[in-house]
Amino acid sequence: MVTGASTEVIFGIEPTLFAGSLFVLTYLLIITEWLNRAIIALASACLMILGGVLTQESALQGIDFNTLGLLTGMMVIVGITKNCGVFQYLAIWSAKKVNADPWGILVMLVIVTAVLSALLDNVTTVLLIAPVTLLITDALKISAYPYLFAEIFASNIGGSATLIGDPPNIMIGSAVGLSFNDFLINLAPITLVILPLTLIPIYLIWGRKLNSEAEHRQQVMNYREREAITDLRLLKQSLFVIALVLVGFIIGHDYHLQPATVAMSGAALLLILNNLPLNAEEQSKTVHKSFCEVEWVTIFFFIGLFIVVYGLESTGILEKIAHEMLAFTNNDLQATAIAIMWISAIASALVDNIPFVATMIPLIESMQESFGGAEQIMPLWWSLALGSCLGGNGSLVGASANLIVAGFAERAGQPIRFLPFMLVAFPLMLFSIMISSMYLYFRYF
Amino acid sequence: MSAASLMDPNPTVLKPTDIISTAAEYIMQHRYRSLPVVDEDGCYMGVFGVNCLLRLVLPRAAIMEQGLESVPFIHESLTDLHQRLREVENEPITICMRSEIETVPPDHPMVETLLILYRTKTSIPVVEPGSCKLLGMVSYWDVGEKILSA
Repeated sequence: MVTGASTEVIFGIEPTLFAGSLFVLTYLLIITEWLNRAIIALASACLMILGGVLTQESALQGIDFNTLGLLTGMMVIVGITKNCGVFQYLAIWSAKKVNADPWGILVMLVIVTAVLSALLDNVTTVLLIAPVTLLITDALKISAYPYLFAEIFASNIGGSATLIGDPPNIMIGSAVGLSFNDFLINLAPITLVILPLTLIPIYLIWGRKLNSEAEHRQQVMNYREREAITDLRLLKQSLFVIALVLVGFIIGHDYHLQPATVAMSGAALLLILNNLPLNAEEQSKTVHKSFCEVEWVTIFFFIGLFIVVYGLESTGILEKIAHEMLAFTNNDLQATAIAIMWISAIASALVDNIPFVATMIPLIESMQESFGGAEQIMPLWWSLALGSCLGGNGSLVGASANLIVAGFAERAGQPIRFLPFMLVAFPLMLFSIMISSMYLYFRYF
Repeated sequence: MSAASLMDPNPTVLKPTDIISTAAEYIMQHRYRSLPVVDEDGCYMGVFGVNCLLRLVLPRAAIMEQGLESVPFIHESLTDLHQRLREVENEPITICMRSEIETVPPDHPMVETLLILYRTKTSIPVVEPGSCKLLGMVSYWDVGEKILSA
């Protein structure tokens, strides 16, 4: 039960009713996209406090600053790194590695997207890979659709492999105290299986027909990937800092270093290295530009959401729902894990996975006692992580990266429509969840 | 003084059915930066100019919103660029004309009109309020001539 919560709600309304109604309304408004989700989350958070469910102090307790710090730090690092052209270099290098063979390029871009999404921010990864993809497919005179479709899947699958790959994992890791290595050991193996298996239906649907004439392939082969690197000094600095940050994530847990500290330290170091040679005026512009790369809309959305969920948690509703869930699964850990995975996957396909995970975290924490302790419920966390991350592949609205790619495809004149995408993506997502369920069963039960 | 006093009331215009090759040749021949596109009723639709031609020869991924910020790794020849233009030369100019250019009414204040000209870096259509009829174009040359002869 949350401490420091107020019990005097406005107009004498029952706290559970007020918080529950506000939460449902918040969720519905986020789904309908009638208003920007950050605005909705912030407004609801304020109402939780103004309405008396929480005090300002207790509301601040509900904010997971580790998640915010990790997200912000990584966004700064990626925002600076992208200026050196390394993403474009990787995409072109990989395309030339397979002699500009259309199917080979698709596979290589999938791998590049998955790896980058695992280590860096999903949205930035697809924002940088999608334009190069279009460039290459335009040169080959083939449709970009299969490539963009595959990259959506790659970003969500890759993102599910590590602590930092996807916001749901960051939130779960932070709430439970899981380390970078915990995610690597428990989730990376299954993503290495799911990714190639996902390519099979993509090959059967589109891959077999991908073809390009030799002269068009030569156009791609003529690209000089080395010249995509526009700032070699920045490249070296960025790679150095990213390597340090990754080492920090891997060993940090043993030294009681939280991921946010590692990420923000990396961001600070890269800012120093990047700005040291500049004069004060140039530094001012560069630093301003670097901080503009942070998705503040996402950050404020998280802040508001944390407070809203904390307010709900303070009324005890989530504990009650947790007990109902346990009753439904007969207090069986295996059944509960499978149920969480499938429910998370379908919910994440249809609605934003971030508010869903934010709600599920305290719910699962409430189950700890029933299952005999924190160690016992670990499979539930992996279920939630896999379900919510992979579920994002189920529809265009399932993940932010999906919408980014869809928006890009629209501007490129090759729109990815909601229903046609879902007709292929949803079954493919269910397939990945089925594999994950088998993995969960064999690994933890 | 207003936009009406700066504009050329009889600008050369293009039709929406003109094809790119014809329009491009005309622009190149007369060294026009851009020309307005009007339909058969004289209704302003957009502008077509050298910037449109550049857009047609540049890789799509480089010119679109949130596209590639730089393309130093592309080393195409003039022949490659011409080939890209040839692929669309029989398409109507409407596929790449710019319709988002800010227009002004004839009574728009002169200095404000000049500021818009400065910021948009292209000739400004003067359009009749309430309808879409093109009344004239304000170009750098017209403005320069009128200021210097004042």
